[in-house]
Amino acid sequence: MSRIEHEKEIKSRVSRRSFLKGCAMAAAALGLSDELVPKLAEAAASPKRPPVVWLHFQECTGCTEGLLRASHPDIATLILDIISLDYHETVMAAAGHQAEEILSSTIDKYSGKFICVAEGAVPTKDGGIYCKIGGRTALEIIKDVAPKAAAVISIGTCASFGGVQAASPNPTGAKGIGDVLGKQVINIPGCPPNPIAFLGTVLHLLTFKRPPELDSLGRPLFAYGRRNHDQCERRAHFDEGRFVEQFGDANHKKGYCLYKVGCKGPVTYANCPAVRFNDVSIWPVGAGHGCIGCTEPNFWDTCSPFYERLPGVKLPGAGVVTDADSAGKKILGIAAAAAGIHAAVGIGKRLVKGNQEEGK
Amino acid sequence: MYEKRLAWSVLFRLFHWAFALSIMVLVATGLYIHYPWSNSVIEGSRSFVVAKVRYVHFVAGFVFISALLVRLYLWFFGNRQEKLWDSAPVTPANIKNLFSTIGYYLYLTDRHEQRLGHNVLAGTVYILTILFGFCQVMSGLWMLYPESPFWGSWGVSLLGSQAQARFVHYLIMWYFSIFVFIHLYIVIWNDVKDPEGLISSIFTGRKFFHKDTIS
Ligand code: HEM
Ligand code: SF4
Ligand code: SF4
Repeated sequence: MSRIEHEKEIKSRVSRRSFLKGCAMAAAALGLSDELVPKLAEAAASPKRPPVVWLHFQECTGCTEGLLRASHPDIATLILDIISLDYHETVMAAAGHQAEEILSSTIDKYSGKFICVAEGAVPTKDGGIYCKIGGRTALEIIKDVAPKAAAVISIGTCASFGGVQAASPNPTGAKGIGDVLGKQVINIPGCPPNPIAFLGTVLHLLTFKRPPELDSLGRPLFAYGRRNHDQCERRAHFDEGRFVEQFGDANHKKGYCLYKVGCKGPVTYANCPAVRFNDVSIWPVGAGHGCIGCTEPNFWDTCSPFYERLPGVKLPGAGVVTDADSAGKKILGIAAAAAGIHAAVGIGKRLVKGNQEEGK
Repeated sequence: MYEKRLAWSVLFRLFHWAFALSIMVLVATGLYIHYPWSNSVIEGSRSFVVAKVRYVHFVAGFVFISALLVRLYLWFFGNRQEKLWDSAPVTPANIKNLFSTIGYYLYLTDRHEQRLGHNVLAGTVYILTILFGFCQVMSGLWMLYPESPFWGSWGVSLLGSQAQARFVHYLIMWYFSIFVFIHLYIVIWNDVKDPEGLISSIFTGRKFFHKDTIS
């Protein structure tokens, strides 16, 4: 065997091994038995597997970056392997009209068979003019492509629920893909989502020809079935009542629970503490930062301020943004003052008019 | 001369006290869960303060739920005073009572109807309170059983996300605190203005009526 052939052989064996390793990780996340790993690998490697069309709308490409730059080479290879990227605006070779032609020929040729992955929200205001690709609005593109797809996956919180561009006041009328299409799609929220959640879902689709079990928000239960708080390594500190009071304080250095500095783990369904990121066993809470709830609908509005326990409250009419605590205390104060005045008026009236009842 | 008349059944009085005590416990423990001010920095103390306070909150929560269900039953199957429509602003007479009670409370008039049951202003607020109680139960049970598909789908369709559920749950805590405060004030005020034995009626079930006001 020549040297070059030898190297090729090693390379392909390594990539086969890393391919299988990626499948094994996805199987573990899906809660499937080891025995199914070869099945997943077979489905993923099958030349007949459906092509994936990857659409980009209002987004930052962070989800794509998060997937492809996964420090885990196995995952990145696997993703590039299974996604026969016929159309992916970030990584495809084609450009301009050529690219648009590939899109239309792919969806026609594989109508009813291909998988449509959408990244980013779709602006709907003013006819959707705030996001255009190749002269067509995002709204037109998704309405053209999605109905022909075998499955639609929204990757990231923007595609799932609108994300940052849908945050109040939502100037472009941005919506998630499911809302735009008016039907349930598979949502893989996260900012960015964990590559394993995406990979597991795609492998499930390829292997079993149906999506994994979803929650009522369209999120696969294998990845979004449990709250971060209920699987967090700092939970013992929570139950014991040991809290970080301020970033950088002694309790923070000791690794106590981040609840009081605004951790949104108690309201966030995700598998970050279990699966973690970047293959270095890290996730925000592990690094001393609270969860910001990025897998939840409207988390920009309902989970912010990120460093406070509960969201701010807008008092109707007054338009004052204050926190619920002080609003509640103020109302209680007003009620107490009102009761005091009320009692004083009653006593005053009695003093002036005398107690009529005594005469009865 | 006064006449003693039965206003509240035993079940109703049980409801009232289960409701009242559970609300006090729920507000106290809820505030602690919202802001766990103690910080047990001694590691290995095995104090489990937050876990225990949450436990008490959940036990009180189930007392609260039982009380709500009893009230719901009494709305339809209780005695005349306990029924929903006796003190709801639905009949012309009741609507009149609502406004006359407001006038009475604002010292605009001293005349007021003697009623065996609630006056309509109180009745309306109590209905609102029961509804808020159900909001607490819906959001509370979703937070308690976060992985239950039943509470999950209800929670998502009513509240959108757990972040919102927690927020609403917290805001309604303020409603209950303010309600308890105003309720106590008005009950005492009524007892002073018109000694019909309003406060003792929730223990004994009986109210006292002036003989000449009974028609
Ligand atoms: C008058 C009734 C109630 C009041 C005033 C009340 C109050 C509160 C408050 C203030 C919190 C903290 C919220 C936060 O800051 O995040 C809380 C949490 C909670 N409540 Fe209630 N609550 C009531 C009824 C219930 C009921 C009926 C249940 C259901 C059994 C319940 C279950 C919960 C749960 C599960 C939590 C979250 C605890 C945690 O995850 O640490 N609550 N409650
Ligand atoms: S750090 Fe956050 S997720 Fe972890 S136990 Fe504390 S509140 Fe829960
Ligand atoms: S820890 Fe929270 S904010 Fe961070 S990625 Fe996970 S779900 Fe998103």
